[in-house]
Amino acid sequence: MTPVILGLLALLLAGPVPVLLARAQWPHRVPRAAIVLWQALALAAVLAALGAGLSLGSELILQPELGPLEIALYTLVTVLTCVVAGRLFWATVKVAVRTRARRRRHRELVDLLARHLPATGVAGVSVPNIRVLAERTPLAYCLPGVRGSRVVVSEGALERLRPEELAGVLTHELAHVRARHDLVVEAFTALREAFPSFVRLRMPLEQNQLLIEMLADDAARRRVGAAPVARALVTLATASAPAGGLAAAANGTLLPRVRRLAEPASPHRLLSAVTYLTAAAIVTVPTVTVALPWLIRLADALA
Amino acid sequence: MARLGNLERDVMEQVWAAGAPVTVREVHEALAKDRDLAYTTVMTVLDRLAKKNVVRRVRDGRAYRYEAVATKDQMVADLMREVLDGAGDGADRTAALVRFVGQATPEEAAALREALSMFEDDETSSRPRRG
Repeated sequence: MTPVILGLLALLLAGPVPVLLARAQWPHRVPRAAIVLWQALALAAVLAALGAGLSLGSELILQPELGPLEIALYTLVTVLTCVVAGRLFWATVKVAVRTRARRRRHRELVDLLARHLPATGVAGVSVPNIRVLAERTPLAYCLPGVRGSRVVVSEGALERLRPEELAGVLTHELAHVRARHDLVVEAFTALREAFPSFVRLRMPLEQNQLLIEMLADDAARRRVGAAPVARALVTLATASAPAGGLAAAANGTLLPRVRRLAEPASPHRLLSAVTYLTAAAIVTVPTVTVALPWLIRLADALA
Repeated sequence: MARLGNLERDVMEQVWAAGAPVTVREVHEALAKDRDLAYTTVMTVLDRLAKKNVVRRVRDGRAYRYEAVATKDQMVADLMREVLDGAGDGADRTAALVRFVGQATPEEAAALREALSMFEDDETSSRPRRG
């Protein structure tokens, strides 16, 4: 029974649940709790899938009398499960190495090419390591890192943004850098890369990218109010791309962010608490009710 | 560490300004005018810049000369392309950098300006927009 339950759970958590969650509007009200819920979903789906495979494989030990067909099948499933686990591990390492290499290279170039601003007193926000690139396209981004994080803005952004808008942008970037939002995105990137493209889901990565932006928007809103953040967002999003630049890809995150800023900020404590509880339950309930009894049986059989 | 970073920038400015491959001595002479700087320090810095692939060494008889791999404008443009690419929906998307906001399509831009009117209404002071 264990493999069937875990297998069904894995299918549920990897398919319909993310689709429904991505469509829902309520996670945008509690972005931090929603990110935790997404992480719990991903963890539970991976654990259920691995658990399903391994518990079926463990029949080789638990059932003394198996036909040759069953032995072959269970062995195959065990091998496949190990392959999936290996791919997850490998994707995590690959994404981590690639991300850090690109980021280091980018930081080196930014340090060489950009104007360095003093850490204090840019639009009233003190941000360590602000770099200003001599580029007319208004843009702002951050390079996160344990040490050596950078917040980069272009001269065009300094020119086009009013002081309180700039303060909002810098506070937004600082929130990313401080809370290491990039690690959330990195984990979901790795999860996505671990699976072949025909079973890949876009939603978990996209939704979490949107949610970290909303979290950072909230930090900026608390500092300068919603209107300057929204104006900065529109100014930077609608600025003309440089000559020979890239066609913009509709990413669908812009309107939800601006519309969300138009709504009054409220903590939504109950929704937040329920979301956190759900996240905890998604991971713990299957572990305690299904995985643990199987592991105990397995331990007994081995003893 | 921070001082060495500043020195790297100064050395790089010299390399870019020269236009032709420069020797360590030329860079040292230009920079030592207004500061106390050892020749070997300049050599170390150029070596580091070569390791970072922003300058390359070219052989000139018995000595080495250094030249920038690209002009400063070109390197800024390359950096910008990476920033704008990184926000796109490319297959090679990484979390290397987190951008404030991506580029809107024309349709999105129109919708965004409309959404912004929700804020403009309740603004107490109507200041002129700079363009």
